Order: sequence, then C-alpha cells, then structure tokens
Amino acid sequence: MTRTVKNRLIKILLSLLILIVAVLIIIFNLRDNIVYFYTPTELERIDISEKKIMRVGGLVKKDSIKNDGSKNFSFIITDNTNEINVDFQGILPNLFAEEKGVVVEGSYVQENLFRANKVLAKHDENYMPPEVVNALKDDGKWQGQ
Amino acid sequence: MAGAMSEILSFVATFFLIICFSVSLFQMRYFIRKYEGINGNHVLLSTIQFTSCLFAFLILIYAFLTSNFDFQLVYSNSHTDKPLLYKLSGTWGNHEGSLLMWILILTIFNFFYSIKSSSDIKLRNKIVANQSLLILGFVSFCLLMSSPFILMKGNFSQGLGLNPILQDPLLAIHPPILYFGYVGFSLVFSFAIAGMLNNQVNKEWASALKPWILIAWVFLTLGIALGSFWAYYELGWGGFWFWDPVENASLMPWLSATALLHCIMVLEKRNMFQSWTILLSILTFSLSLVGTFLVRSGILNSVHTFASDPGRGLFILLFLAIVLLFSFGLFASKGSSLEKSNSFAAVSRESGILVNNWLLLTILFIVFLGTIYPLFIDLIFEKSLTVGPQYYVVTIAPIVFLLLIFMTITPFISWAKGSISQTIIKIKYSSILSLTLAFAISLYFDLFSITQIIILFLSFSLIITSLFSGIQVSKSNIIVKSILGKTLSHAGFGLFILSVIANATYSEEKIYDAKIKDILEINGHKFVFEKINHVEGENYNSIQAVFNLQEDNKVVEQFMPEIRFYNDPPTATSETSILYGLFSDIYIVMNVPQYQDSISVRIHVKPFMNFIWLSVFMIIIGGVLSIIYRIKN
Repeated sequence: MTRTVKNRLIKILLSLLILIVAVLIIIFNLRDNIVYFYTPTELERIDISEKKIMRVGGLVKKDSIKNDGSKNFSFIITDNTNEINVDFQGILPNLFAEEKGVVVEGSYVQENLFRANKVLAKHDENYMPPEVVNALKDDGKWQGQ
Repeated sequence: MAGAMSEILSFVATFFLIICFSVSLFQMRYFIRKYEGINGNHVLLSTIQFTSCLFAFLILIYAFLTSNFDFQLVYSNSHTDKPLLYKLSGTWGNHEGSLLMWILILTIFNFFYSIKSSSDIKLRNKIVANQSLLILGFVSFCLLMSSPFILMKGNFSQGLGLNPILQDPLLAIHPPILYFGYVGFSLVFSFAIAGMLNNQVNKEWASALKPWILIAWVFLTLGIALGSFWAYYELGWGGFWFWDPVENASLMPWLSATALLHCIMVLEKRNMFQSWTILLSILTFSLSLVGTFLVRSGILNSVHTFASDPGRGLFILLFLAIVLLFSFGLFASKGSSLEKSNSFAAVSRESGILVNNWLLLTILFIVFLGTIYPLFIDLIFEKSLTVGPQYYVVTIAPIVFLLLIFMTITPFISWAKGSISQTIIKIKYSSILSLTLAFAISLYFDLFSITQIIILFLSFSLIITSLFSGIQVSKSNIIVKSILGKTLSHAGFGLFILSVIANATYSEEKIYDAKIKDILEINGHKFVFEKINHVEGENYNSIQAVFNLQEDNKVVEQFMPEIRFYNDPPTATSETSILYGLFSDIYIVMNVPQYQDSISVRIHVKPFMNFIWLSVFMIIIGGVLSIIYRIKN
C-alpha cells in the first residue's frame, strides 16, 4: 500500500466513523422527542402507567365542557366509541367547540384522566387534524367529504 | 350559466397558456444537437413566454378584483365584502392561483436570463431550453389538472371567502416573495443541467451563475423572515419559529442554497468542487419543489395546512421523481468528467468552506429527518406521531457552535494553503475583545455556566471579526469592497444566534383571568384592564380588550388585543397587541370569553425580538450588497 492510498483510506474511514456517530446521535435524539398520537379507542390498548407525553385527538363531546369560572377547564374527547376525560389549565384556542375536532398534548395523571398542557390551535372551522379524520373514518363515523 | 364575458375571459386566458406551452416546446429545440449552436430568437421567444403568462395571470387578478363568481376559483376563495388587498392576494392564496404565479415567475427568470445572457451561445441555449422544459411541465399540470379558469355551472352572487387568518397585509406579499426565492433556483437547476450537458462547469460558468443564486437566496431569506414575523404577531403563540413541517419545508432549500452560495465561490476562484456544486444545485431546486407543493398537498401534517388534495401531491412527487431521476442520471454519466483535480491543503480556505458546507448539510439532514420521519412511519406502520421541537434544538445547537467557529476563522485563512498561526495573528485582537466582552456580560448578568460564556464568546467573535474586516475594506477599491456584503451577512448571523438564545432564555409568559379593573403584573410591569370595546371592521366584528400599562400611576401605553369574528367563512381570529421595545417586546393575546365571565389573557415579555429581526435584515442586506457589487464589477 502506498502512502497516499493509506492516507486516503484513513481519511475515508475517519469520515465514515464521524458520519455514523453523528447519525446515531441524531436518531437517538429523534426517538427521545417523538410524541405519539392516539384516539380514545387506541388508548384502551396501551399501557398508561408510564407518564409519557402523548397526543390524543377526537371530537369534543357535546355538553361536556366544564369550567370553574377561571382558567381551569375539563371536557371529554370522544371518537364515538370510547371517550376520555381531559382537564386543562390555560387558554383554549378560539376554534375550540363542542362536536368539533380537537387534539390535546399531555399525559395521564390517573386512570381515565388526561392532563393536557396544550390544546392545539387550528386555522379554520373545517380543518380537522388528519389523525382525527382517519380515526373517524376507521370507525365509520366520518361525515365530511 | 356563466356570462358571455366570463366565457371569453376564461377562453382567452387558457389560450395565453397554450401560447406559452407552444413557445416553450419550440424553445426546447436547443436540446437537439443540430440547433444547440444557432442564434435563435430566444429573447423574443422568452418575451412571448413571459407576456402570455403575465396576461393569463392578469386575467385571473381581474376576475378576483371584480369578484367574478363565474370562476370556480374566485367563488371558492373570495367574497364581495373582502377589502381590495385581500381580493388581490386571494389570487395566489390558493393552489391553482399560486401554481399560475409559480409559472409566471418561471417565465420571469427565463426572460431576465435571456436579456442578460452571457456570450456563450451553447450554454445559453441549453439553459433556455431547460427552463422552457420546466415551464412546459408546469403549464401542462396547470392546464390538465389545476386550471384556475374553470367556470362554475350555475350562477352565484356570493363567494365562500378567504380564510381570515390569511387576511393580513404581510401574508399578502409573503407568498410572491417566497416564490421568487423557490423559483429562482429553477434557473440554478437549469445552469447545472446545461453545464453538465455541455461539459463546461468551470470558472466562467460559476461567475455567470453566482448572481442568480444570490438573487434567489435573498428572496428566499426575505420570504422566510416575513412568514416568521407573521407567525409572531398573528398566531399569538409568542414564538416566531415552531419547527413546523411547513416552516421546515422552507428552511431546507435555504440551508442547501446557503451551502451552494459558498461552494460556488470555491469553483469561481479555484476551479474545483465541480460535482459538489452541481449536486447542491440539483438538491436546492428539488427541495424548493418539495417546499412549494408538499405544503399545499396536505401530505404534511401541519397547523399551516390549508386546502388538501393528495392527487396533486402525487403529481408533484412524480414530477420531483422525474427531475431527480433525470438530473442524477445525467450526473452519474457526466459527474466524474467534470471534476478538475486541483489540490488544497488541510488548512486552507477551501477546507474551511467544505466543513461549513458539511455542517449546513448536517442541519439540513436533521431537519429533513424530523420532517419526513412522521410521514414515513405513518405510511409504513400507520402510526401517527409528531416530533417535538426539542429534537431540533438539542441536535442543531452543537452544530451551530461549530458553524460559528468556522465562520469566524475561514475568511482569514488563505486559499490553497493557509497556516494556523497566521490566521490566529489576524484575529487575535478581535478574539481578545470578544472574550473580554463575553466575561463582562456574564459578570454583569450573573451567568457563570461554561456554555453561556462559550456562546457569548463565539457569537461576539463572529460579529466583531466580520465587522472589523468590513470596516477595513470599506475604504479600499471596489473589487476588495465587494466582500462587504459577506461581512454584513456573517455579522448578522452572529447577532441572530446571540439574540435567539437570549430570547429563549429570558422570555416570560403568564396567563390570567381578567375581569374589568383587574391589575395584572408581569416582570414589574403593571397592566390595568380598563374596558371592553365592540368594534366593527370592514368584514368582521370584534371584541377588543383595553389594557393600560402603568408606571407610577400614569398610563404609558395602551394595549388593545382583539378577537375578530368573521362571517365568511365563520371564523374567529385573535389579534395580538404588541409593544415593540428596543430591548424587549410586550405582547398581549386575549381569548374568546366563551365559557366564563372573565376573559383569558396571555402576556408575554419577549426580549431581543428586535435584534432578531435586525440580524435577519443584516443577512438580507448583505446578500443585496453582494448582488450590487457584482453588477458594478
């Protein structure tokens, strides 16, 4: 092996090593920051004992919104099969309403009580998160186009 | 039935597009060997391509301005009550109209390239041919699948309206500017294809291409900045960047374009990095395609997704696949013969730029992975997920540090073979100054973490070295002076990182329930909730809360956040009330008092926001300066 070939080989191996390490770091970081989305029905099947951050989406159940006169809200998210109680402290988005699609992010505090730290805003009254549309379609409850 | 006038307008507009199609087809003859060297009427033909698209676009604008609801597109996106500006911006606030605008800008770049073109006829002809190929592709897409000129069946006196959140002066000009950026890279792509076909990727090629990269880059940067400023005051979330897929989609071509902007310098000065330049050119344009169309296709799950139509997304994916296949196929067959061996030492300007390129592409990869991963998992495992913003922040931060270091030293290393000791001599005073500043500031603000001091030091080094070399050359002759743009942009980037981090560290946010006469306090600021007004706007009604900011029992400032209720379509939007201060913004958002007596109010204190905008402005002006000096030389 000549000197130049050897040098080049070392360079290539070194860059490969850096590349692999970088990609691994990035992928591990990605895995740590993933937030899964579930419908109330899917939640039945998963282990909720670990307090992982997750998103839950569905429709806000009719007559379920309660408020203590202050910024504490509770409501029920339903996919018309199963439902889940959610409580939230803060400002609800303008388009939050009964029987409209909603996505919340947060975690379980106890069995069947989900504490949302974010209620996701949406841009228009017909917009529904694709996950909610899919979930409703899967359940045959979809009424849109 | 649609009126006779509308029938004529629709027909004429479609006819203009067909003219553009035919002329583009004719311009493509330059691809054939027999015609590649002839001096055809390319200026005249490009003018026809441009004007025919312009007329088609003007007809569409006319239809929107006159609220001609015979047109399906106007019916679905406009309303007679809308203010004039939003009737106008409604033209490109939808898929079909924005596609037509995209085509128009394609022809604009083709037109300006044709009249400014270089003396190399063969290269010019290939570029015009390739640009016409792109025009042809998009005009066909427009005519076959998304014509903006389809008429309604039946009479309608009123339209459905434009999404109120888009009814904002900034968002009216944001898409055209962003599109000038995206589409500008089509010309870069055409240069790459033509260069490969003619086997002449060299210094002259690079000199001819560089100003176009700069122009597109300036527009793209400005477009992203405007979008981000809009998100800051309109969305009312207190931030200006959310790592949302749609934002990422515009950041990706920017990263690759920035890398391209630097590596083309090496090609121009040293006649090397040929294949790398070609690769980046293709990549930038492909990412621009992704950026424009995936946004509207609904494939990306984003808060910014408005209309969705997977069918159109499919066409774009197909088009993208063809572009990639075609260009990489060409690259595979020609790539190796492009490279001219020209050696450089490990310590040299070339290496520095190469490292910076790799750092930028690593950031690009991180953003790409975060954006595409949820799509991929959804397709394969049918599992929905999102990637939290923390992923981007944590992974990108260390790379930004490296970027700062290399941005500081690379401009002071000589081409071909530099030396570390000489570079250190050149930047020693500014380094000492930055270190002193970093320590002084950390003492003053009680910051003692190593990371904070390192961030301060690195950002200050970049700002100070850039500004110093800028001041040094400003007295020299015009050729040396042309690096002024670079120094300004680099200083801007340093300031940007500094202010973004300071902003993230010191931002505060508080949520209140407020009844009238309540006093709200944040960070020593006192707000008195005075009253609620009911205001009638041009096409909305609003509830406006009035807050007085008090100092020593005197009212110093009045905040009036609003909730606007629009009827068409029925939507409510929050209007933020922002006090733009030199060092800190105060930002108030209120919410509909839907389920309670009091109103919900969120107050943000956002320090250094003005410095963020200023730094972005510096980066953009730096680009503009570079273009100006380029033209002067």
